[in-house]
Amino acid sequence: MAADNTNNERYAVDVQQRIKDIQALMREREIDVYLGTRIRTMSFIVDAFVPWRSYLVIPAEGLPTIFTFVIDADRLLSETWMDEDHVRGYFGAGGADQIEAVQFFIEDELGIRKGRLGYETGMATYTAEGWMTHYEFEQYSEALPGFEFVNAHDIVDHVSLIKDEGTINRFREAGRIVDEGHKAARAAVENGGWKGMTETELGGIAALAMRRAGSVSEWNFAGLNEISSGWRTGLGACTPPTTKEFAAGEPLMFDLHGMFKLALGDHSHNYLLAPATERQRWHADNFVACVQFVADNYRAGATPGDLITQLGEFAEERNCSDFILPGVEHGIGLFGDEWRVGASMDVPIPYWTDPEHTYQENEMVILAMQYAAKEEDVGFRYENPIVILKDGCELTSKYPLAIEEIE
Amino acid sequence: MGNMAYLGPEWTEEARTRLKAELTPENMHHVTSSMSNIYQNTPDGKEKYLYIAFEDGNVGEFQVGEGEPPAAEFKIIADYETFAKISRGELGAVRALTSRKLTLRGNMAKAMRLAPRVDRMNKVLASIPTDY
Repeated sequence: MAADNTNNERYAVDVQQRIKDIQALMREREIDVYLGTRIRTMSFIVDAFVPWRSYLVIPAEGLPTIFTFVIDADRLLSETWMDEDHVRGYFGAGGADQIEAVQFFIEDELGIRKGRLGYETGMATYTAEGWMTHYEFEQYSEALPGFEFVNAHDIVDHVSLIKDEGTINRFREAGRIVDEGHKAARAAVENGGWKGMTETELGGIAALAMRRAGSVSEWNFAGLNEISSGWRTGLGACTPPTTKEFAAGEPLMFDLHGMFKLALGDHSHNYLLAPATERQRWHADNFVACVQFVADNYRAGATPGDLITQLGEFAEERNCSDFILPGVEHGIGLFGDEWRVGASMDVPIPYWTDPEHTYQENEMVILAMQYAAKEEDVGFRYENPIVILKDGCELTSKYPLAIEEIE
Repeated sequence: MGNMAYLGPEWTEEARTRLKAELTPENMHHVTSSMSNIYQNTPDGKEKYLYIAFEDGNVGEFQVGEGEPPAAEFKIIADYETFAKISRGELGAVRALTSRKLTLRGNMAKAMRLAPRVDRMNKVLASIPTDY
């Protein structure tokens, strides 16, 4: 079934309110202009797919303006809510490159020549977060000498933490799309279909099914669909697919990525290629039980630290704690937002999940588990974007939790 | 017709007449916009401007002057000699932009869309017998 693109009311988000919330925090911090460069910041405000390096200028009052690579500016204009005056292109030309286009806009059109400029810097686990580069920082500092540059990305992180109904509905649809990918992947490998098939080929089969169901991207920043088989499953994480062929007796790990209206579908499902050993089956049953345990314990008021502790005790009871890697989640949001949980900068290990973060209703995370029996070449990975509820959580992928043996 | 001094009063009047006669709302695609060319390092040392506005594809205000130009959607800044080379057909506008001989202030994406119409305007200006 193709994606439901017609019911826009269901997927509506209030971008104007998001802008107001950001501007309120800017005023609180005495920031005159915010210069966003992260993909997640573009997705959250522009509400359209922004794959090229872009710069979002948010004044303390009024509408934001985006500068993107000129070749994509008209396509972006056709998809965003922003008008022609607020979707600009940059190009390697005098006054029009990434630095001067933004500089002249701030000076000439916003009429600001001094003050405090919020920008985005930090670190992440994946390359394409979009932090301002050192070169850009130097160039902007020189071009806008009247400004004090202050790191302010936590403003956007804070405002985007709790998801609205339209965003959650987008994730529900992204979950349905990813499930279509899993159905296609399952159909491709069953009844001996896996013979001679490579991880990359399976990734493509799933991608086609998801595209047909309405996905527009498998997220290039995460290595597209992540498929593992054999020894790499023993690492507990999928990682990008290789040209390795599937082989009898191996575990399979299918971590599929889809995107619907910028919401990221992300579900990992695991199989055992026959013949499975009793030991493999034991690991598989442990994994399924642990995932179910965590899913049953997510709720508003819980913390990542609580869940990790509870999972550790549960795994200990099953005598499988050696194989559970310490973690139960990672962050998720609109395109570009795929890592940290929480918005605080004041955490024990900067840019990693705060173990004391208290989940709130309508926050979203990826319920993620890594089960790694490296020495046995066996491992499993679970991922599913979930909505935190008052007394539980909602899984957006409805694909049944199980590890089947495929003939 | 003898040559007219570039940006002089006679040239300005001729340019206004030709632009209004030769640029139609249809071939200008009913554009509404304005631009100021800022001439630096002129022969007499004074900074000059050429301002033109279009309203629904019709040539509106057209001025050549000294000092601060009227506010325009696009501001294009270059040496007098660069503008002269472009008018004489010795230098392409895109080449001038990409080699930073011209500086554009304004919405680049929109400027790119309007570029063919600006070329049309420049062709009309280039047809005026001019001493640079």
